Parts: sequence; structure tokens; C-alpha cells
Amino acid sequence: MIEQNIHSNTREARCKAAVRTGETHPLIDVRNVVKIYNSLAGSVTALQGIDLQVYAGEFLVVTGKSGSGKTTLVNMVTGLDRSTSGEIWVAGSPLHNFSMEKAAKLRGKTMGVVFQSFELLPTLTVLQNVMLPMDFARRYSLREQRQRAMQLLEQVDIAEHARKLPTALSGGQQQRLAVARAMANDPTILVADEPTGSLDSATATAVIDLFVDLVRQGRTILLVTHDKDVAKRGSRTVTLADGEVIGVEEREGTHA
Amino acid sequence: MLKPRWYKVINDLFGNKTRTLLIVLSMAVGLFAIGIILSARTILSEGLASSFAAIQPSSGTVRTLEPFDEDFLQAVRSMPEVQEADARRNISARVEVAPGEWKNITLFVIADYNDIRVNKVTSESGAWPPPEREILIERAALPVLGSNVGDVVRIKMPSDTQREMRIAGLAYDPAQLPAQFDSTPYGYISFKTLEWLGEPYGFNELQVIATHPEDKVWAQHVVNLVKDRAERSGYTIPLSMTAEPGQLPMDDILQGLLLLMGSLGILSLFLSVFLVINTVSALLAQQKRQIAVMKAIGGGSLQILGMYLVMVISYGILALLIAIPLGTLGARALSQMLATMFNFNLGTMEIPPQTMLTQIVIGLVLPVLASLFPFLVNLRISAAEAMSAYTIGKGRFGRNWIDRLLSGPNLWFTRKLSIRPLLLSIRNTFRSKGRLALTLITLTLASATFVSVFNVRSSLSSTVDDMIEWFNFDIMLTFDRSYRADKIQQEALNVPGITQTDVWIQLPARMVRSDGSESGMMYMFAPRIGDDALIRSPAISEGRWLIPEDDNAVVVPSALLQDEPELGLGKEIVLKIYGKEQSFRIVGTFVGSSFAAMIFADYDYLTQATNRVGEADALLVTTRAHDAASVEAESKALEEHFERMGLRVSMISTLPRERADAEAIFDAIVALLLVMAILLALVGGLGLMGTMSINVLERTREIGVLRAIGAPNRGVAQVFILEGITIGLLSWCMGSLLAIPMTQGLNAALGGATMGTPLTYSYSLPGLWLWLVVVLLLSAVASFIPARNASRLTVREVLAYE
Repeated sequence: MIEQNIHSNTREARCKAAVRTGETHPLIDVRNVVKIYNSLAGSVTALQGIDLQVYAGEFLVVTGKSGSGKTTLVNMVTGLDRSTSGEIWVAGSPLHNFSMEKAAKLRGKTMGVVFQSFELLPTLTVLQNVMLPMDFARRYSLREQRQRAMQLLEQVDIAEHARKLPTALSGGQQQRLAVARAMANDPTILVADEPTGSLDSATATAVIDLFVDLVRQGRTILLVTHDKDVAKRGSRTVTLADGEVIGVEEREGTHA
Repeated sequence: MLKPRWYKVINDLFGNKTRTLLIVLSMAVGLFAIGIILSARTILSEGLASSFAAIQPSSGTVRTLEPFDEDFLQAVRSMPEVQEADARRNISARVEVAPGEWKNITLFVIADYNDIRVNKVTSESGAWPPPEREILIERAALPVLGSNVGDVVRIKMPSDTQREMRIAGLAYDPAQLPAQFDSTPYGYISFKTLEWLGEPYGFNELQVIATHPEDKVWAQHVVNLVKDRAERSGYTIPLSMTAEPGQLPMDDILQGLLLLMGSLGILSLFLSVFLVINTVSALLAQQKRQIAVMKAIGGGSLQILGMYLVMVISYGILALLIAIPLGTLGARALSQMLATMFNFNLGTMEIPPQTMLTQIVIGLVLPVLASLFPFLVNLRISAAEAMSAYTIGKGRFGRNWIDRLLSGPNLWFTRKLSIRPLLLSIRNTFRSKGRLALTLITLTLASATFVSVFNVRSSLSSTVDDMIEWFNFDIMLTFDRSYRADKIQQEALNVPGITQTDVWIQLPARMVRSDGSESGMMYMFAPRIGDDALIRSPAISEGRWLIPEDDNAVVVPSALLQDEPELGLGKEIVLKIYGKEQSFRIVGTFVGSSFAAMIFADYDYLTQATNRVGEADALLVTTRAHDAASVEAESKALEEHFERMGLRVSMISTLPRERADAEAIFDAIVALLLVMAILLALVGGLGLMGTMSINVLERTREIGVLRAIGAPNRGVAQVFILEGITIGLLSWCMGSLLAIPMTQGLNAALGGATMGTPLTYSYSLPGLWLWLVVVLLLSAVASFIPARNASRLTVREVLAYE
């Protein structure tokens, strides 16, 4: 059982992280973000004025119970959805002011997203799934896209399945593929929403190991999970409840 | 090597073959319908024009009572107003079609078959020119005669001379009314044969081409000049006609058909447009989640839009690859069928480029436009919402009044009934209202057009009923000359089975316009008016029928008022009868075609005005039994009786035959309408199948959820089938209402083109019920097949379905 060393999300904590990574400006800066969903049943406030900073090289884990606002926070940070109010800065860009189109371009350049249900394109091969974000970003030539995709597949240990369709892979392999796809444009930030939620524990451990490796290689990761064991692997864990940050747990480095 | 995004397009196209097939077929059937209608319309119009031009059509015909020779023909040819003239002998004879059963036949005798200068007759097959003592039959007349080339037929001349002749071949004479329309075959013989038949040498029909044949007024003037010339030469002119420039005899009907085809083409166009929009938007809805994923990994809107545009264009190309060749084949077959029916040769069978262009524009540009709207709507939705909305929460049911109407409190009566699947189906139907609206528009248009086609068919039948309803007799005998009315009536009553008799006189007349010009030949019929008369009022479109108190009143066909703008209800019409001008007042118009201009006047008044009191040209009788066989037997007995009495009958018409002839005129339209109805059923049906199948495919995950909570496969299929049936029923209800004004429009257009007045409105209940059955079957099948396929997957597979 991990000791729940709960801190409030104070300027002090943020400064500690900045000192540790040597960065003074956060890569992701969420400022007083509110998200309200309107439905027939009435309004639901999913995020109630969240403040959160993620610094370069951090492995930040956001945890909390179901309905605490974790996925909503991921959607805000990745620009997949708009906040009701507040500011979101990603790599110095005001994402909260961006159109959907501009947000997509920013994601293509600086952010890789991994989903719980993998969200692979079923009609593309494993290799083509990894090449697609590069194609959209127009970052590499076709030959380079191919070479880079193969390297990424080797990195996640599924290179031998390059020509298969995603449905021919196991759950763990599909999530590795999703990670490789997220890495395609060499993003500085990787955002993962419950990446182990659909996996068995052994496969989940392997996928988290992969994230830890990526952090060691200098990536910044924001990972959302409700799994306490997974949460332990992060360098910092932020706990949400009812759309609010209720605690921050700091660790020294990532846990291999 | 292609970019990965294009691999996705290719794999999406060929990976899901069922979906591709459904989309391509839905689009192809609409494009096929447009192709077949537009192409057939052009092929027919061009064929008609070229066939007609090839025969050197006459501007008019002048018939003489006394035979004339080449000298008079030369005199007419030398007239400066006449570009060309030719002559032939036209004889009404009888032909034995079965032992003891005689039919009218028109015989043409031409001096030199290889040098016909006007209204050319050409060889279709067999001997040419007609050998001595043998006959050629017009190619369209062979089925009417019930004979074949090589058969021997017995011909009875007006002089009662009977001869047997071999049918030596077939002639092609498009200037004549196709034989099946008035059931009168045409035969072609030489003058030597005519002599053998006991008739003297000589022509009685002049056909002239005016110097400016395209100018109808001038052509009419020239025909009048020729007629005057003939009269000055001492010939009696019983008939002279001016042809409509550039028109074959059945042009009115054909134009009506082409108009109908054009209207149906436009309707098919709308149908195809909605079918394409529907299909493409359904496809995009299905791909919503994948679009969101691509946005999530950095795909720009234009990039993703480009992918889907290429995809829908590919569907369009595949649909065009099916629709263009099939449409071409269909158009050629349909054109050939109609050309055979109307007895003209088609010129080129080339498919007009504008038809293909229309198909290509609809097949390629429309899907692109159709995909833009849902795509732009999609752009407004965040990727997060699109990805979550794809699951079972799809649609926003519950937000508006329709949803609330279908919610629990309003359906209190269902609480104790075991109809949960039905309620689920009904509510499901209204979940995606945009899609529902598109599907309903497509299906409602198809329903309305299908039902309207049946309504027009029914209206045509009602119109025929109206046209002959006023004939209260069974048999009409027309005589070679006038007889005393009381004498022929008494003779008729001597024949057993004849119960009542009546008479009328008929005489040729010409309308004299205010500028002094004369119209073409009209037939004036003067029946007796009164309660015991065997002629009732025809279907009156305006004004009234004649009454015994009328003096100079006439009732004219509605088409005449359209052709002659100076005429009108209540206005005077000046008619030239036996060379004398007389003024009449138009008291009513009847539903009538312009190709057989008839004018009705009172018997008593007209016989007095023409010094023919007590005379009759035609005898009308009623028989005890009214079935076709009895009436035919009575007509035969009457003909024999009058022959024995030395009264010369020139023509016998029976009501059953008249009805068959009138219906035959509309047969072509009815046949075409049926082809169109089948085509539209196919368009609508496939559209429904495509939409329903895509709807079900889209909800494959929902099927998994239903099964996961314990729904049996049958229960799942039931939910979707009921949803399909609900949509089908809604479209049927709306289509049946829309069919009312649509039928009125088609009836007005078709009736206007053929008769100058709308067809008698009739709503076809059989058509309505037939479409209900078709819609219900299609809805059930369209929903069942994909639902059954989905139910064969395991719950895990279904829930993971993408």
C-alpha cells in the first residue's frame, strides 16, 4: 500500500517539479478550467476550476474514481473538447483560443494521444496506422515515414506484425501499436487515457513499462488511470474527485 | 507507394464489400432511372424527327369523290405554291380475318412504288413493288390482321367483288396512323390488281407539300388552293386535311408520352438526389468515430474531407460504371419498344452526351455536395463528443416534442401490453431525426411517384370510360350514302335481337376564321337530342351538352379551343357546310382529342339547315345482350340484312371494339407507366434497403448491448424490422397524400398534351395497396438481413464492431 502523501496543488509543489526538471515554464498549464455538460437531466459540472501544470520530462498520473473528471481533463488538455471557461496552455500555445482545426494541428505536432479502447483504424495495417499521423502532419517523406514507423514498431516490439490489420493483434499489442502511433510525429507530450483499462495485468504492466521507458528517453507523459498500481509508477500523481484536485503525491523519479 | 490515408480510402471501399455494394447499388439505380428516361426521350425524339423527314411528309391531303388522272396531278404539281405533289387511290374495303368475320381495311394503290414523291412508302420485307394480284401489308398492321407473309387473304371490295390475294411482303408507311390504334390494317396493291378487283383506274387522293411546309398557316392556305383548283376542275371534295408540320399521325400521344417521361425523369432526378444525399450522409455518420480518431491524431479537416470526397467520388464512379451501360441498354430497349408501337424507325441509337453528362454530374458532383453538409456539421462537433456519441448514446432522443410525444406518459395505454420491442422500434425511428427526414423524403417521393403512376393509369381508364360513356348504343352502321331515317330504323328492328334504334347525320365542315382563312376538315355529327336518344352527352369539360330547345348550338372538342384562340365558350363559330357559311354558337366543350375534330349539333336543326330533313347517314342500335360476342353477332346479322335489302353499309363499329380501340391508344402510355412504376419501385426499394441496412450496420454495437442484456436473436431482429416497417409506413402515408397533387399535375400535363384537357382524376387504390405491400416487404427484408448478420456475431465481436 502506497502511503498517501497528499499535498494540495500549491505553487510550492509546482516549483519543486520545475526545479527537478530544470524547466521554469510548464509544458501544459491548465488554469482554472471549468467544464459544464448540459443535458436534459440538467447541468453537470465535470471540472470545477482545475489548476494543473505539467513540466517537461514529468510522468504525471491523474487518478480518481469513475466520474471524477479524469477523461474530461484529458479531452481539455488534448483539445479534443472545449472548456466552458479557463485557460489551457500547451507548449506555450493558448489551446483554449484555438479552433478545432488548429487544435488538431497542434496535436499532430506536439502531442500524441493514447486511448483506452486503442481507437486504431481497422482498415489500415499496423504499419499504415503508425504512418497516418506523419502523413497528416506532412513531416516526413513517404520513405522516411515508413522507416520511422518501422523503428517505432520495433521499439514497441511489434515490428513483425507490421503488415497485419490491427484486429489480428492481441489487446496488449494493439495498445503498443496505439503508443507507437502516438509517437509517430516525435511529440514532446504523450497523453494516455486509461491505456491499461482494457488489458490484463501482465500486459498492463508491460505497457506502463513502455511509458516509463519513454519518460526516461525524455518524453513528458500525462496518464489518466483509476488503477492505483499504475498510478504508483508516475513521478507525480494528481487525484481528482468531483472535478476538483483533492491531492498531489510526489515521488522521486519514475518507478521502473 | 500511396500515402497511408489513401490506403484507408481503398481499404474502406473494398474492405466492407456489403456496404460498398449497397451504397453503389443505391446510387446506381437512381442514375440508371435518369439515364434510361433521358436517353429514351432523346432517342425517340430524334428517331421520330428523322423518320418523319425521310418520308417527305405531306403538308396536306385532298380527297376527291370522282377519280382523277395524271393530268390533274401534273396541274397541281405545276402550281407555284406547291413544292411537290403525288397521288394515290385510297379505297375502304373489307378483309376476312376469320371465317365469316370481316374487318375494315384501307387499300392504297400507287402508280409507281419506286417513285413516290410524298409520304414515301418503302419495302420492309418480301416482294417490292406489290406483284399483280398480290398484296403488301403495312408492317404494323400484320398483327391486326392476324396473318403472316405468304398467307392468302380474302378481300371484299365496296362493289361486293371478292378476291383472294397472297400477302407478298411488308411495307413501311409511317405516315399512317399505326394500325393497332384504330384496328384498321393497310394494304398496298398495284393498279393492275385494282383492275382485277373490278375497280376503275384513277386516283382519289392528292398529297401535297407546300413551298414552306414548316409554316402551318401557309400549308393550310396551299391545301385550300389545291382544293379550290380541284373543285374548279369539277371534282367533289369530301375531305381535305392539313398536317401538323413535322408531326407523325400519333404525335399528340407520343408528345404526351415524352412529356410524361420528362416529368418522371425530373422526379427520378429528385429521387436520386435524395438517395445520394441519404446514402452519403449515412456513410459519414457511420464513419464519425473514425473521423474523430483521425482528428485526434492530428488530421486536418481538409485532409479528412479530401479522403471522404475521394471515397464518395469512387462510389459515384462505381455506380456510374453500372448505371451508364445498363441505362444505355434500357433506353435502347424502351425506345425500340415505343418505336415499334408507334411504327417508326429509330435513327441513331447513340446515347446523347448530355444524358451521360447529367448522370456523371449527379453521380460525382452530387455525392461531393451531399457529403459537404454532414461533414461540416461533423466539424462543429468536438472529437471527444464524436467518439463518445458513437456508442449506444447515439442520437439525442428526448429533447423535443416528438420525443416527448413518444415517451411514457403519452403512451399510458401500452403499459399493460407486451409491446416493448414495438415501443423501442418507434422511439429508435425518431432518434436520428436528420437521417429519418432524408430517408422519409426519398421514400415519400418514391411512394408518391409510384402511386401517381398507378393513378395516371387509372385516370386514363376513367377518361376512356368518360369518352365512350355517352354512347348508349351497341352498334353503329355508317352508310355509303344517305337513306331515309325511318326506313333504315324499321329495317334494323326487323333483325331479331335489336331493341332500339336511332340515327344521326354526319357531314364534313370547315371552320372559317375571322380573317377568311379556313381550318382543316372537321366532322360534324348531328345526333337526335332527347330522352330516348341513343347518344348521351359526352364528358363535358366546360359549358353544357345540347338540349332540344337549341337551334344553332354546337359542342366542340376542348382541344379545338386551344388550337383556335378566337373561339371560346359562348362565342360564335362560322362553319362552311356544303360550300355555305353558317354561324353556330359554342355552348359547351367536351373532352376530346384534336386529332379527330368532331363538332356536335342538333339533328333537327342541322337537317333543316342543310335541306336534309328525314335523312340519316348512320344508324345506331341497341342489342338485347351487350357482351362483345353477342354484339359482334348482331352486327354481322345487321350487315347481312342490309346487304340483302340493297342498303350499302360502308362501316360497322361496335361499342366493345370502340372501347378496345380507345384503350389501345393509351396502351403505349400505360405500358410505359408500368415500366416506370417498376423502375421507381426499384429505385425507392433499393434506396430503402440501402438506408435501412446502413442504419442497422451503424447500430451493430447496440445489437450487442441488447443481446448482452438477454434479448434473443429473434427479439433483436424484431426491433429492427419494426423500425424499418415504421419508416416504410410513414413514407407510405406521406407518399399517398403527396400523390394527390402529383397525379393532378401529371394528369394535367398528359391530358393537356393529348386531349387539351386534364385526364379524369382517379385515385388508384390497387396501386396504393400494392405499394404498401412492396414497402412493407422491402422494409422488413432491408432490416432483417443486416440484423440477422449482426446477430450471428458473438456479443464480444459485436461490441467491438467498428
